[in-house]
Amino acid sequence: MASRIKWAGIAAVAIALAFSPLVLQQLGSLFWINVIAEIMIWSLLAASVNLLLGYVGLLSFGQALYFGFGMYGVAIGVSHFGLGLWPALFLGVFAASAMAAIAGAIAVRLTWHYFAIITVVFSLIFYFVAMSAKSITGGDDGLSFSTPVLWEAAGLSLTDRVTQFYFIYVVCFACFAGFALLVASPLGMRFAAVRDNEKRASLIGINVYLTRWIAFVIAGFLAGVGGALFALFGRYASASYMFYHVSGEAVVWSIVGGAGTLLGPFIGTALLILFREVVSGVWENYLIAVGALVILVVMFAPRGIVGIFNDLIERRESKDDRAAADIKSLAEMD
Amino acid sequence: MDLVIALTINGLVWGLIVALIALGLSIIFGLLDIINVAHGDFFMVGTVLALVIAGTTGFWIALVLVPLLGLALGLVIERLVIRPTITAASLTIVTTFGLSMILQETVRATFGAQAQRMPAPIPGTVPLFGLEYDIYRLFAALFAMLCIAAFFLFLSRTTLGTWIRAVRHDRETATALGIPVARVCAFTFGLGTAMALLGGAIAAPITTVEFRTGIDILPVSFMAVVIGGLGNLKGTVAAAILLAVLEGLVSSFADPTLARITSLAVMSGVLFVKPNGLFAGATR
Repeated sequence: MASRIKWAGIAAVAIALAFSPLVLQQLGSLFWINVIAEIMIWSLLAASVNLLLGYVGLLSFGQALYFGFGMYGVAIGVSHFGLGLWPALFLGVFAASAMAAIAGAIAVRLTWHYFAIITVVFSLIFYFVAMSAKSITGGDDGLSFSTPVLWEAAGLSLTDRVTQFYFIYVVCFACFAGFALLVASPLGMRFAAVRDNEKRASLIGINVYLTRWIAFVIAGFLAGVGGALFALFGRYASASYMFYHVSGEAVVWSIVGGAGTLLGPFIGTALLILFREVVSGVWENYLIAVGALVILVVMFAPRGIVGIFNDLIERRESKDDRAAADIKSLAEMD
Repeated sequence: MDLVIALTINGLVWGLIVALIALGLSIIFGLLDIINVAHGDFFMVGTVLALVIAGTTGFWIALVLVPLLGLALGLVIERLVIRPTITAASLTIVTTFGLSMILQETVRATFGAQAQRMPAPIPGTVPLFGLEYDIYRLFAALFAMLCIAAFFLFLSRTTLGTWIRAVRHDRETATALGIPVARVCAFTFGLGTAMALLGGAIAAPITTVEFRTGIDILPVSFMAVVIGGLGNLKGTVAAAILLAVLEGLVSSFADPTLARITSLAVMSGVLFVKPNGLFAGATR
């Protein structure tokens, strides 16, 4: 029952997103089509944090690095090598995954605070590299390029914002569907085992290092897809998106939405970006409100918005098992 | 050659200021187990307050007032934000990140986004190793050194300092001995914050004053804490000075960005080979 409600919620979000550009077009608010597209893109970065934190128990504060590699892969592919859309997308995602494979091999040897810190260090190193290699990356000014064609024969182009929306929607949907399959698979079980108890996991024959490394590479892949889409969306790549503040925002989105839940990163990203769009129009210093909101969510809903929702469903489901649910949530807090 | 000497001395001066800030970060980390992402912004608030107070009442009063304001700010923040969210360390990163946003935006809203420069409170230069060196920078180094010495004396000689060390060493035994652990933690957060603001007040005349400076100082202080060994206070001081001198030297031969990349590479090397820090095994 509980899982049926959850899946119904996920399906509702997917369908609502699919129809949103049509409705917004009718309403004449084309601006919001791009906002929702941007939310979907950034939710991939939040999902990347979430995979590591919520499912493997590693807090990465440097996922913007892989976002940046995806972004630059596309931008450099198009503007320096003259690649088409698909090869450029592939280059971006490949670059991000490869970087994650290298950095992950070093980072996942460490845990906890050390892991968080070394992920920031890696992202800072490449942030400074990207800032100084102006001839390749454009540094802080960024690298602009014109949009490649999506599918010439069918007359599809990303310059049309509805086409662009559906392109982003399909890619994001595929990523989240893959994510759902992954965490339900035997590999996902291994992730959970490593997260819950590293020693016990290794005693039942799980290679903890390898499991963490695989999760790190997949997280890099997700962030890379996000970055590649973002470059296509903005026709632009800039080193400033690789800074650790961007990683921090992704951590915030993921925790506010609910770490360890499928839809949490999306809900958290949507909430905070919509909040930004609405409040920044009224109040110039809206970041004060964002900061306060983040602190309040952590204070009153430490398991995030989706976490609360899941708790509510489970409570209703089995009032008698409340003690059991409490024990479970205590175990998850660890 | 003059440039190399000047940048090395600059690195030494800057290293002592960073050491003071990193000590604040380290003591908060060691006692409360928090990665305080807002620590750099505490430094930034210190530079802004120093500039504002020095403009009205004079620099020397600012030097006394800013750390006191920092202590008060730290105590308030600990009570309102840190204590209710300390249940899980990943959550404290998020709350301090939110705090960082609030601090930066508040400063931007009240002080303005424009970077400002503060005139040196002690003008003039002195001859040093064959070059004319700013008197204020020498004073800043000396003052930071005195503050660091005072901090270590406080930890080793006073009752409160002993309590802090006891809680760092073994929280449960400290509780059993009747030490008010919650209050010691609150005071430690206030002390760490005060050190960051004091660092800001000292650094204000030799750096730019704007709402973004915290973003630059945070990674440097973290590097000092990590290379020194998490929770190892003396290692933190040594690492801060070493890093700043290294950055000064590399930037005199190459450029500042390469210097920063070098120290980051050094840090990841240290983390990889000795996760407990270069000076692990010394006093904890």
